Amino acid sequence: MGYGELAVTPGPVIATAGLSKDYGADRGLFGLDLEIHAGEVFGFLGPNGAGKSTTMRLLLDLIKPSSGSARVLGLDTSRESLEVRRRVGYLPGDLTLYPKLSGRAVLDYLAELRGGVDGRVRDALAERFGADLDRPVRELSTGNRRKLGLIQAFMHEPEVLILDEPIAGLDPLVQQSFHSLLAEVSAQGRTVFLSSHTLSEVERVTHRLAILRRGRLVVVDSLENLKRVAVQRLEIEFARPVDADEFRGLPGVTEARAEGRTVTLSFEGSVDPVVKAAARHEVRAIHPREDDLEEIFLRYYQESSA
Amino acid sequence: MSWPTARLAFRLRLPAAVSASVGLIAVMAAVGALFPAIGHSIGRISVPKGVSNLLGGADYGTITGWFRSEIAAIYGPLVIGALAITGASAATGGEEEDGVLAVVLAHPVERARLVVSKAAAIGAVVVLIALSTWIGLIVGVALAGGGISIAHMAALAVQLAFFGFATGAVAIALGAANGRRSVATGIAAALAIVGWLISSFAPLLSGVAWLKYLSFYYYYAGHDPLTRGVDILGLVVLGVVTVALIAIAVFGFDRRDLRG
Ligand SMILES: Nc1ncnc2c1ncn2[C@@H]1O[C@H](COP(=O)(O)OP(=O)(O)O)[C@@H](O)[C@H]1O
Ligand SMILES: [Mg+2]
Repeated sequence: MGYGELAVTPGPVIATAGLSKDYGADRGLFGLDLEIHAGEVFGFLGPNGAGKSTTMRLLLDLIKPSSGSARVLGLDTSRESLEVRRRVGYLPGDLTLYPKLSGRAVLDYLAELRGGVDGRVRDALAERFGADLDRPVRELSTGNRRKLGLIQAFMHEPEVLILDEPIAGLDPLVQQSFHSLLAEVSAQGRTVFLSSHTLSEVERVTHRLAILRRGRLVVVDSLENLKRVAVQRLEIEFARPVDADEFRGLPGVTEARAEGRTVTLSFEGSVDPVVKAAARHEVRAIHPREDDLEEIFLRYYQESSA
Repeated sequence: MSWPTARLAFRLRLPAAVSASVGLIAVMAAVGALFPAIGHSIGRISVPKGVSNLLGGADYGTITGWFRSEIAAIYGPLVIGALAITGASAATGGEEEDGVLAVVLAHPVERARLVVSKAAAIGAVVVLIALSTWIGLIVGVALAGGGISIAHMAALAVQLAFFGFATGAVAIALGAANGRRSVATGIAAALAIVGWLISSFAPLLSGVAWLKYLSFYYYYAGHDPLTRGVDILGLVVLGVVTVALIAIAVFGFDRRDLRG
């Protein structure tokens, strides 16, 4: 069944209510309330051990919740797990496949297990990712194994994709194919829930983000909003040395440092006052600093641990 | 039943099963070929009763005694037990520990069907080994100059298959309920060895002779299938135990967290 023919599920595609998995010693997942909507590419961020994989494993009914519940496509993930799994594609975080089998044999088995997989879709995915289907899995590099994992997750064109750290371990070219695939999937109204422990990995592909820390949700917001509150940084290179004090009092500016002819600024919100102040001098170059989002990521971590 | 799962599990065990089968047939042919040369002289050696019981009677003077001691008592159950236990442990706890089951169970397949399908695959491996044992016996007995009927050899193979089912089912139950390969292999192998020792020694010790009824081995060979044919009661006991163990496997696997 293709995604085109599916009825639109009213309400969120993924919804968790107080979802918890208590492993003791304050480890696991605690009271997760999350809603993900159709067509979203939703990023699930957090450092190692935050509970990302635990959440995804709960959604697939691989493990049972200590309390709370979750629905995928309106179906209860425990009681109606079989139907959930029929309609979801899943990439586990630490993917292992039958080492002695070729990629093709593994995919054949999984396709049979699922039923109704179009071989052409699988082949197109294999081509897209440049996957080697003929060699035994044990001879494949981690990156090439991940490709097989992605193919099995996408090959039945599921309405929902739950991908645990899909980008880690992919080489840049494959990452690009993966990004474009996500864009297509989302344009078709299908939903992607993907996790990562680094923001830079997912900021180009996600619409909304949740940050998880020590099993608890810290923040859920759109990428845009998170960027808006983010501390941003600029390096402005002038023709002649400029006093950093000229920028210190400006609205939004939190820090200004001068070093030779270069002034480095941290600011929140609009860049406008900074640009206008800089324009009083001859400006040679402006370099935005790329790691701005990592900073909010860190800031949210710190706030929630304080 | 998930046929793709059963087929795959069988396919993964096939290389080991085929080499074991070839080995079994070769050993039985060798045993049969040796009998005319040395069988009659070995027949006069007297051994202690305990050792003799371990060797299935140790009556080396007759062709039936030879095959009872060499194949039926030790080699057959050892090979079929080893393949059933390692196969069952790998297909359950092994795949779970390796993380393969996390991918498989993300597909629309009930856990119960998965366990039953894997059990069926191990059952097929056991049947293959039992069949090879039968063929090996036919070849070996022919080389030895005859003396055991094909039907009695078939009876041994059938008893052996049911012994293999029950032994494999112990490992399936442990592997499915617990999710660890080493636990499944270790405990199932230990139980098999204890069962073999019990059925050999318990009858010699007054007061604990009844212990033999706890051993799969007793239901397999206690009736001496090479001379007396199939023991229906033994098959029923082993069959019921197998079904009960698979039920335990399904129940144990169904409601627990997957390791990982
Ligand atoms: N089976 C388990 N038994 C005990 N603790 C576990 C188990 N699985 C995960 N945990 C713990 O739960 C926390 C969350 O783990 P996980 O969901 O894997 O984090 P993440 O995927 O975000 O790195 C970690 O502290 C981890 O050690
Ligand atoms: Mg993880």
